[in-house]
Amino acid sequence: MGPLIPNGILTDEWNIIIAVLIGLAFGFILEASGFSSSRKLAGVFYGYDFAVLKVFFTAAVVSVIGLYYMDYLGWIEMGMLYVHPTYVWAAIIGGAIMGVGFVAGGFCPGTSLCAVAIGKLDAWIYVFGIMIGVFVFSEAYNVFEGLYNGSFLGNITLVDSFDIPASWIIFGVTVIALAAFFVSDIVRKRIKKVFY
Amino acid sequence: MINRKLAKILANRYVILASLLFIAALGLLVLPGYKKNERVTAEDLLAQVVNPERYMTSDELAEKIIAKDPSILLIDLRSENEYNEYTMPGAFNIPLDQILDPESEGYLNQDQYDIVLFSNQNLTADQAWILLTRKGYKNLHVLDGGINGWYNTILNPLKPTENMPKEAFDRYDFRLAAAMYFGVGGETLQDKDAEEEGSRKLVVPVMKKKKRKPEGGC
Repeated sequence: MGPLIPNGILTDEWNIIIAVLIGLAFGFILEASGFSSSRKLAGVFYGYDFAVLKVFFTAAVVSVIGLYYMDYLGWIEMGMLYVHPTYVWAAIIGGAIMGVGFVAGGFCPGTSLCAVAIGKLDAWIYVFGIMIGVFVFSEAYNVFEGLYNGSFLGNITLVDSFDIPASWIIFGVTVIALAAFFVSDIVRKRIKKVFY
Repeated sequence: MINRKLAKILANRYVILASLLFIAALGLLVLPGYKKNERVTAEDLLAQVVNPERYMTSDELAEKIIAKDPSILLIDLRSENEYNEYTMPGAFNIPLDQILDPESEGYLNQDQYDIVLFSNQNLTADQAWILLTRKGYKNLHVLDGGINGWYNTILNPLKPTENMPKEAFDRYDFRLAAAMYFGVGGETLQDKDAEEEGSRKLVVPVMKKKKRKPEGGC
C-alpha cells in the first residue's frame, strides 16, 4: 500500500501539503516542549538536561520499529523509501562543525528557526550566522567540492554495511538507546541542577 | 484510592515506556521470516501482463529487421540444437534454463535495446518474460506466435481471399516482400522472371536473300 505518493494513492500535489502540515506540527511541539530554549538544548552537553538526546533517539527508534512492523504487515514497502546518500568525510566534518555550532550557539538549525518564530534575539543572530555560512560555502564551492562529492558510498543503511538482519540492528539500537537514557538519567542526577 | 494507584503507575512511566520499546524491538526479532516480492509488486506485474505492448507481432518484427533497426535484440530461448538448425537473423541463443544465469544478465538486464524473446511458440517465451519481469528487467517483448508464427505469417503467408479487406492484401504483399528479403518464398516470382527471360528467345532476324527472278535467258 504505502508509501502513498510513489504508489499513486495520493497525487504529487499532496507532497507539499503534507510537508507543511507535518512542519507546523513539528514546530509547534518543538516549541511547546521547550526546545526553543538554548539553555535546554545546550544542557545535553553540560549534563543537566538530556531532553534533546531522549527526544531524538526515541523518535528514531519508535519510527524504525513502527516502519518495520508496517513493512511486515504489508502497509509500506521499505525498499521504496528514500535513503539519504552517504558521503563519509563530508558527514564527519559537517557533523563536527554542526556540533561545535550547537554547543556554542545553543541551537540546532531547526530549533533556531523555532526560536526565531518566538522572537529570541540570539536565535536571530544564530540564523544570520547560518546564512553567512551558506554564503561562504556557496562562494567557495570550488574549494569544498572534493569534500562535498567525495567518499560517496551510495544510499546505504546499517543493514547494507554490516550485513546483519535489520531486526538485529534495530534491537541493538534500541538497547543502546535505552542504555543511553538510563546513563543520562544517572548523570543528570549527579550534576548540579541548573534553573532556566 | 484510584488516584494513588494511578500515581504509583505514573511514577514508573519511563520504565514502562522503555520496556514497551524493548518488547516491540524484541518482537521484530521473533517475527517469523517471510519472502518478500522485491522489485515488482503484484499490481505492477498484473498491469504489465495485460499490457498488449509486451507482444510484438511478426509483421512488426519483420519491419524492424528489414529497416535494420539497431535497437532490437533477439533472444532465442530454444535449445542449442534447434538454434543451430534455424533461427531468426541476428538472434542470440539463451535457452530457457540458462535465462537466470549470471552470464545472461549482461544481455538481458539493460536499458538500451528492445529485447524480443521467442521460442517455437508463445509458452516458453512467456515463461521467460515473467521470470525476467519479476527480476525488474526492462524493455522485454515476446514475439507473438514464436518461430512457428513467424513461419506461418512471414515466410509462408496465407493468400487472402477475395472477400478480405484491402489491408489484408497489403499485408500479404508486405509479407511476400519480407519473405523475399529473408531469402525464402520468393522463388515463385523469381522463377517466373527467369522463365520469362529464358523463354524470350532472341530472335535474330535473318534476312533471306531474295530469290532473284530469273532474268532473261540466253
